[in-house]
Amino acid sequence: MTSTTSAYDPAGTTSAYGSAGTTSPYNMTDTGSTYGMTGVASGTRAAPAFPGIAARAAQTDATGRIPAQNWKELADSGYLRLFHPPEIGGTGADGLTQADAMEALARACPGTYWAATVSALLCGKLISTYGDLRSHEPLLRSLLSGERLAAFAVVERTAGSDAGTYRTTVRRAGAPGGGFVINGEKSRITNAPIADVAVVLARRERLPGDDGPDWCLAFVDLHQPGIERYEIAHMGLRGMPWGGIVFTDAHIAEADVVPVPFGELAEGMAWGWLKNSLAAIAVAESALSASVRHARERVSFGRPLAHMEGVQAQLAESRAQIDAARLLARRAMCERVAGRSARDLIAMLKIYATEMGVEVAARAVQIHGATGVTQGHEVERLYRDAQMNVIGGFTSNRLREQVAESLGLGPAVYSAFDWVTPAGLGQDPAGLDGLPYAEEAVS
Amino acid sequence: MEIPHFPIGEWARELADRVVEPTVADRDRERRWNPRLFAELAEARPGPSLTGPLVPRDLGGAGLSATQTVALLAGLGEGARDPGLALAVGVHAVLATVPLRAFGSPWQRERYLPRMASGEWVGALSLQQTQGASMAPAVTARPAADGSGGWVLTGELDLVAGAPVAHHFLVVAAHDDGGRTAFVVDRATPRLRVGEAGPAAMPTCPWGRLVLGGCAVPDTAVLGTVAGAATEVEPLLAVLDWVFSSAPWLGLIRALTRDAIEGARERRLFGRPLHHDQSVRFTLADLAARCELAEGMLHRAAQQFDSGHRPSHQDAAAARLFVAAAVRTVTDAAARLSGPLGLTGDRLVGRAHRDGLFFAGTGGGTEVLRPVIAASLLELG
Repeated sequence: MTSTTSAYDPAGTTSAYGSAGTTSPYNMTDTGSTYGMTGVASGTRAAPAFPGIAARAAQTDATGRIPAQNWKELADSGYLRLFHPPEIGGTGADGLTQADAMEALARACPGTYWAATVSALLCGKLISTYGDLRSHEPLLRSLLSGERLAAFAVVERTAGSDAGTYRTTVRRAGAPGGGFVINGEKSRITNAPIADVAVVLARRERLPGDDGPDWCLAFVDLHQPGIERYEIAHMGLRGMPWGGIVFTDAHIAEADVVPVPFGELAEGMAWGWLKNSLAAIAVAESALSASVRHARERVSFGRPLAHMEGVQAQLAESRAQIDAARLLARRAMCERVAGRSARDLIAMLKIYATEMGVEVAARAVQIHGATGVTQGHEVERLYRDAQMNVIGGFTSNRLREQVAESLGLGPAVYSAFDWVTPAGLGQDPAGLDGLPYAEEAVS
Repeated sequence: MEIPHFPIGEWARELADRVVEPTVADRDRERRWNPRLFAELAEARPGPSLTGPLVPRDLGGAGLSATQTVALLAGLGEGARDPGLALAVGVHAVLATVPLRAFGSPWQRERYLPRMASGEWVGALSLQQTQGASMAPAVTARPAADGSGGWVLTGELDLVAGAPVAHHFLVVAAHDDGGRTAFVVDRATPRLRVGEAGPAAMPTCPWGRLVLGGCAVPDTAVLGTVAGAATEVEPLLAVLDWVFSSAPWLGLIRALTRDAIEGARERRLFGRPLHHDQSVRFTLADLAARCELAEGMLHRAAQQFDSGHRPSHQDAAAARLFVAAAVRTVTDAAARLSGPLGLTGDRLVGRAHRDGLFFAGTGGGTEVLRPVIAASLLELG
């Protein structure tokens, strides 16, 4: 192939799932506030806006598959279009609308939310930011219509976010203009087993005279020879497809390799941190809702749980923590949608919100007692689902390093750990009568 | 990183840094209130004045919004580094002022609010009375015996912030039938006495005990409806305390976080700078996050006062619960990172440690805040 155009030509844009619905359920009016919380809130938040997807959430988890009906409802809902401007088929929703929609879908089914949001939001932003609209508009439109699903392939088998260990490489297939080939393996990737296209972070083979960046994003068609995939069983978000992709001389069109300086990547990844944060907030809200329901129904020692101060304290702490995370998420989302980076704010949000989600889910399990650890119970599922939010797209501690650096603490410093013994603190001391004679004699 | 600071908060921070902060360590040690400082905060120009932010302009106040007032108080806390003085200002300018604005008769509003806004009259109240009737009533109100109208107030209130310098007091008193009424009681009222008493914490706030030894007050001293406090002044006072007494602490935890960052850069352990230690870096990142989260909670609660709707008491209680926990987290970490020598010098860490504990206990503490939030969640209580 010598074509310089993208593999994702307009000819293939007819949607398998129908076009987006004409009315989005998210056309909420903007309150005009950064925090958008002028109204009076009480009780837990409204029921999910994806009743079908919510009703199938348990089944989605149990079977480890997102039902086709979920994809259809997602495309019809307009969710996939919210994050992008009309020029590429989006609806250009404001920040609060996007945040509310993300939370609503994640409340309905965290696994479906992850799969859909990685594709439409994260991959969509990466392609629209680093790609070239002339070449990649059809690809973007297909992600927004739900016709295609994308994966963001960064991590490899060897390590997590340590890019120094990554080996996957893109090199020229032949003469300039003749496209590229990619070799390597990406692993523990959302959507990898079923995605149509992968946005791959890869090393760039540089020929003499090429002083461009060492890294690139490659938009790789996953339906071609040279692609093998596998699934990996995982703890939570079981409905979410997760696994690896092996590239063996897989072909990439000329326009689909975009050199990107590595430092730029965190800017794009921040969309993923927002995704995880809203998932965490939603999981926590679902866990709190279930806890409130259970506390009202369950009678123990002659008293409904709801009348026990210890349970009330747990519910109140969860309420306050979820609110704090959500308010920061909404602020961060608005900053981001307004075109500002807000990278450190989003990093702080991701750290707090995702760890909060785990804490609130654990509390919910405790409030439910043995029911809560029963396989198939909602809070058992939420407890598992909460974990990936902390881990995925840079772990908390990786982000703490980033925040610390921007607080003026300088870059992370590694020193071989050898200072306890020289300081005289690495040994047991003499007893009350000093060191035994024999030991002194030896020294 | 971009942190949306309201210019009004910046203004207050600079003013407090210039006027209040230089003497805080001395005043704290001597448990001293300086009326000249209060007057300077009242008269500072150009600016909204810290004594009447929520008094309408036509009554001589600054006519600020609730969100602006939170920013103002946060700036005061950050610049002054003086939790006690910030509490005294907040009690006067918000807790003692807003109930008069909201429920005062035209006569009461015109008599009190302009002079409170100018700082000429200080308003005071007991922090025992900002959590509704969760504590047993300490003051009783009985109709005047001669049938000439008016009421006789009897009882004692501790933790009266501003008492020694107050012109008048906001007091909630219980009737024999259990109903409760709010009163504005002038200090000049016969048989009213202010005793010396105060907590160990917040020594820069002027504290006292209010003793009402059968004080006869006229009907014009009633604030709002007779026996109406439970639906009028009490819920308002609770939410005002939860939100606005927390505001200076937003500024204080910002100051503590900044101090902790500087301290970590200066201290050395094992021959290496403390800020090379990964767990220290992680802690500092978490402190910075707490400040942003706390700001969001207070901002939402304040915004509800500006929305034209009834502010949510659940959201206000959640804000206080969150901020009080954040204060403990930030203060503990800042004390740990500043090391055993950190309690010398300017000593904000020491003050914050002592006063933060006190702060966490006021507004009802967790034993009031949690059931308030839970009641709303569970639709019980």
